[in-house]
Amino acid sequence: MDKNQKAAVKLFISRLLAYVFVAFFVILCIFFFYLLLISASKTNFQLQGKFSFLPGSSLIVNFKNALNDTMTNIPRGMMNSFIVAATSALLTTYFSALTAYATHVYDFKFKKTVQTFIIAVMMIPPQVSAAGFVQLAYKYGLTNKLWVLIIPSIAAPSIYFYMKQYLEATLPLEMVEASRMDGSSEFGTFNRIVLPIMKPALAVQMIFSFVASWNNFFMPGLLLTKPELQTVPIMISALRSADFAKFDLGKMYMLILLAILPVTIVYLCLSKFIIKGVTSGSVKG
Amino acid sequence: MAELKLRNVKKIYPLREDQKKKKDKKPAVEDKTVEKANLQITDKGVVAVQEFSIDIADKEFVVLVGPSGCGKSTTLRMIAGLEDITEGELYIGDTLVNSIEPKDRDIAMVFQNYALYPHMTVRENIAYSLKLKHLPKEEIEQKVVEAAKILDIEQYLDRKPKNLSGGQRQRVAIGRAIVRNPQVLLMDEPLSNLDAKLRNQMRAEIIKLRKKINTTFIYVTHDQVEAMTLGDRIVVMKDGYIQQIGTPQEVYSHPANLFVSGFIGTPAMNYFDAKLVIDENGDYKVVTPEYETVLSDGKQARLKKLNVPEQDVTLGVRPDHIVLYDEGIPGKVEVSELMGSSYHLHINCNGKDVIAIVPTEGKELDFVGTEVKMTFPGYGCHIFSKEDTHNLEY
Repeated sequence: MDKNQKAAVKLFISRLLAYVFVAFFVILCIFFFYLLLISASKTNFQLQGKFSFLPGSSLIVNFKNALNDTMTNIPRGMMNSFIVAATSALLTTYFSALTAYATHVYDFKFKKTVQTFIIAVMMIPPQVSAAGFVQLAYKYGLTNKLWVLIIPSIAAPSIYFYMKQYLEATLPLEMVEASRMDGSSEFGTFNRIVLPIMKPALAVQMIFSFVASWNNFFMPGLLLTKPELQTVPIMISALRSADFAKFDLGKMYMLILLAILPVTIVYLCLSKFIIKGVTSGSVKG
Repeated sequence: MAELKLRNVKKIYPLREDQKKKKDKKPAVEDKTVEKANLQITDKGVVAVQEFSIDIADKEFVVLVGPSGCGKSTTLRMIAGLEDITEGELYIGDTLVNSIEPKDRDIAMVFQNYALYPHMTVRENIAYSLKLKHLPKEEIEQKVVEAAKILDIEQYLDRKPKNLSGGQRQRVAIGRAIVRNPQVLLMDEPLSNLDAKLRNQMRAEIIKLRKKINTTFIYVTHDQVEAMTLGDRIVVMKDGYIQQIGTPQEVYSHPANLFVSGFIGTPAMNYFDAKLVIDENGDYKVVTPEYETVLSDGKQARLKKLNVPEQDVTLGVRPDHIVLYDEGIPGKVEVSELMGSSYHLHINCNGKDVIAIVPTEGKELDFVGTEVKMTFPGYGCHIFSKEDTHNLEY
């Protein structure tokens, strides 16, 4: 074999290894979704028996069972979850971006202190502050209201931090000044010029906070007791703890499958905004 | 009416904490050079602009020029309203605008790096300010097209800024500024991001533009060629102080001090140590060990009027006034640069680099290494005080 052939073989092997490696991780990622899908298509009996990689035939039955469950109103739960997750995702990203913009563009006294304080809030574990918040909510009768879940989530130091970094990297101050000269108000500048530039960052953080809020079990579990206000994670847990006669694993897997659908849809909708080079062409780079 | 009045305008940036500490740490006795370098740092803060006063007439084109850090951009930004005015008064027309928001000053500004809105098309970029004024759609469209026509960017109206070249982007930035017919148009080094050829072309376009839109222009640049070619009047600045205000011709022919004489004109003025002497006829002449010349009549008259005494001076001569002759100040040509129609000769004169411009007259000449002697006519002499560097004629 001459040198060229040797090099070609070497390249082939290294590529092959890389593909095998990547394929392995892809399978690892997809495996759980596949598992969920086939489990949702099996009956309770099949699920408790011997494990098989092949899908069952009860997908539609499980779907109907899940929808007709007497204990939980799944469409209602999905709706509740969606209201909480979507509004808190929208509000938290908007206000975090606004805060980041304020500390990025304006110079005011104690700016550094304010920034340090915001970052310091990140150090407190949410469970610790939650204890106080739950007490407060009970004391003032704020339980069983969806907005009690939404409002506190608006203040999100980590999202603020992300937005601040993003602004520092992408927003030239001249653009803000140009907008001011063009006659825009400060809020107008933020809404018309800065927000569109921040689209990728907003999309990323909206996905994250939507998913976090959608999957949140802790706070809704503590604050929502009325069945008609339950969110999806609470319903899943309710199905799990149902008594022996009603317990149906197939139905539960179906509910989990339904639960991840909106998250996937939100991701697909928002991910198209995650593009590079939004500000290219604005200023000489 | 859009004349502008600046009265003793000052800009002082408060010291940051670390600067304060540094200042306090300074030893009580220090050598003079350090003191001079810190001239602008006072107890109140860093002074960026000192007592800036000028009256700018309606439709005048004023250029602020100076080296970086001289306060020219800060002055422009104060006029725009993007920086607070620490002291002094700024009038647009007859209104004091010190505390009026930029958006209410009816001023437009073109930024050095364009600052276009990247998510909008060229059309939307230009129309932005009109939309904010809630003008009817047809009127906006008509004005946008008009501005685009003036700047020759009609065919790019539906493109995004990222799909434009540097020159086109700068045109869009200018279009955005002129579309709403501002009282004053500010330009902050608009050409310095363009390559040399494009810069020349855009400079000519700005001259044409000025004829078309007829408003008051204030233009900041560090490039003295732009200053000379564009301005009705030039304001030369250094270290926050105005050095001279005058027409390009005045600033070039009658520089107020050593700094202005060196800053305006390329290649820069040459300097010699000389003596200002009054001869037996009562006429002023400059004397160097190897060469002396009687000053021209105009200069004589001005010096006599001020009754300037004999003294040691710095003599400035522009490169195009230096004539190579049989006698004069000796030197040796070290470098010869062919500029096309002329040579720029770098002559070593007692260790100093003196530049002389010699026409080629269509011949290829080899000067390098030759010993030459330099003379200059009386009208080409600029005489500066050794003490405070001001031009002794004024």
